Amino acid sequence: MSDDFEKNLREHLHSEAEETREFPRRLRGRIRDGIAPQARAGLAPQLALAGALVLVAVAVLAFRNPTIINVVTTKITQLIQPSPSPTPRPFLCQDQSGGSSGLTTQLTNIRPASHAGDGYDRIVFDFSGGIPSWDLTRQESATFTRDASGQQVTLDGSAGLKLVLRDADLADTVAGDLKPRFSSVREIAQLGNFERVLTYGIGLSSSQCVRVLPLSNPSRLAIDVATTASPSTTAAPTPLPTLSPSGTDLGAFSCLDTGGGADSGLAMQLTAVRVAHQTGFDRIVFEFAPQAGGTAHIPAYTVSRQASAQFVKDPSGMPVTMRGSAGLRIVFHGASGATSYTGSRDLTPNLPVVQEVEQLGDFEAVLSWGAGMSRASCLRTLELANPTRLVIDVQTP
Amino acid sequence: MLMDPTLGRVIERWRAGDREAFEEVIDRYGLQLLRTARLILRDPSLAEDAIQETFLKAWQRIGSLRDEDPGPWLTRIAMNESISLYRRRHRFQALTERFGRLSGVKHEVSSEARLDLTHALDQLTAEQRAAVALHYYQDLSVEETARVLKVPVDTTKSRLKTALRRLRELTGAEEAFA
Repeated sequence: MSDDFEKNLREHLHSEAEETREFPRRLRGRIRDGIAPQARAGLAPQLALAGALVLVAVAVLAFRNPTIINVVTTKITQLIQPSPSPTPRPFLCQDQSGGSSGLTTQLTNIRPASHAGDGYDRIVFDFSGGIPSWDLTRQESATFTRDASGQQVTLDGSAGLKLVLRDADLADTVAGDLKPRFSSVREIAQLGNFERVLTYGIGLSSSQCVRVLPLSNPSRLAIDVATTASPSTTAAPTPLPTLSPSGTDLGAFSCLDTGGGADSGLAMQLTAVRVAHQTGFDRIVFEFAPQAGGTAHIPAYTVSRQASAQFVKDPSGMPVTMRGSAGLRIVFHGASGATSYTGSRDLTPNLPVVQEVEQLGDFEAVLSWGAGMSRASCLRTLELANPTRLVIDVQTP
Repeated sequence: MLMDPTLGRVIERWRAGDREAFEEVIDRYGLQLLRTARLILRDPSLAEDAIQETFLKAWQRIGSLRDEDPGPWLTRIAMNESISLYRRRHRFQALTERFGRLSGVKHEVSSEARLDLTHALDQLTAEQRAAVALHYYQDLSVEETARVLKVPVDTTKSRLKTALRRLRELTGAEEAFA
């Protein structure tokens, strides 16, 4: 039975709730940014079917005329590349990548232009074929290392972007060094042209967020660099990873997601997880042992970087927030620790970068762990034997 | 629950990955969810975080929505997000509350310490506030509240009863009805 107190409570709750008068625009923007990279899940079956039909058609054509492959792949790439979206993409304060592998394409021009009135400087890379595979990496300084020679080159500015184009030729007409000296983009210089890998350094006046637009007809890659604190970026720029070589023979750090191993035979058993700091990096080690009758191998794995320390548990879907402001998600296929791993499933080592390492799931031989990090950092993975270990080194400042 | 045909078409477009349709869903349910989350979390920024996560999860998991009004489904996700976010941010407080309950400690409230309803609501647990917000703000029945919170009806009744008793005690309303 409702009484006066409940009536008062109801009225109070309504009055308190109505203090929130509208759905904040910034929150809508955050949600919009969050769904931007999502694939259209509902269309997946139709797209898969269409893709399969295209592949069959290409296979038949290729059988009759092998030279058709390059033409068809270029055309398909042009077709599936998005035209300029009516809703502008957000500026992202993180490394980005895209493009298509295996194209026959040539970089024909580089065109910088200032759009300071709209809040960005634009650099357009024109291609004669499709847009090749590319990686764009942010860095804290305008000093780059030239490919092949290893020579240091310092461009105009105090921060930089490095663009790597794979499987692309270079037209003779493309300038090797441009100095537009805009408010953000100060200089664009070729760093390498070796075995169809083109590398460019872009000197920036300061660290800025970036929007990359792959455009078609003609194929071009537009890189927009914000000239002020980006209006469509809701988050503050993430700390930049450093790109200096490790200085050891263990391999260079990379600011990209990585993977490896093999999902073969019986699932490997996780036996230990260790975390420790060493000079220049924090090290996470996953140690495995084969089941009886199985052979030792590193299970198939992916290591994905993310811009927050928020994770989702597998398979419950429950959210987990670890310490730090960035994260790594490590997923092993063909591995489990359910019966073999007796250590802590939530380690809080509080190292310079790695703050927390926690198991996120262990279900049907898919084992996932997350790492909360104090900042976005570059990685190096090492696959070691006797005992079988995956080593993930996270670069520290 | 049957959906009106217009909403049904919006959901179909959302299922097909149409972001504009998804924004229509945000327009329709966002404010109510945000207000409810704020009643539970008692913090506007945390409430926004919870609702951001709610809609991101909804976008990703549209496949799990049956042919039904998405309102209760979204509310369920929002409640999970709000309660777990509150727990994560208030781990220590949650522990002391639990300890208090286990040890049977009863917080006596002197007449000088009587609180207004806003501050009294602050003293409830997130689970109690969720039950109170759904039942008294969203006007859900006890059974509907239980379904959204995924707890038995008796548990919901118990949470509501405890919450009301506590609120009366903290605001001094108990004496007025004695």
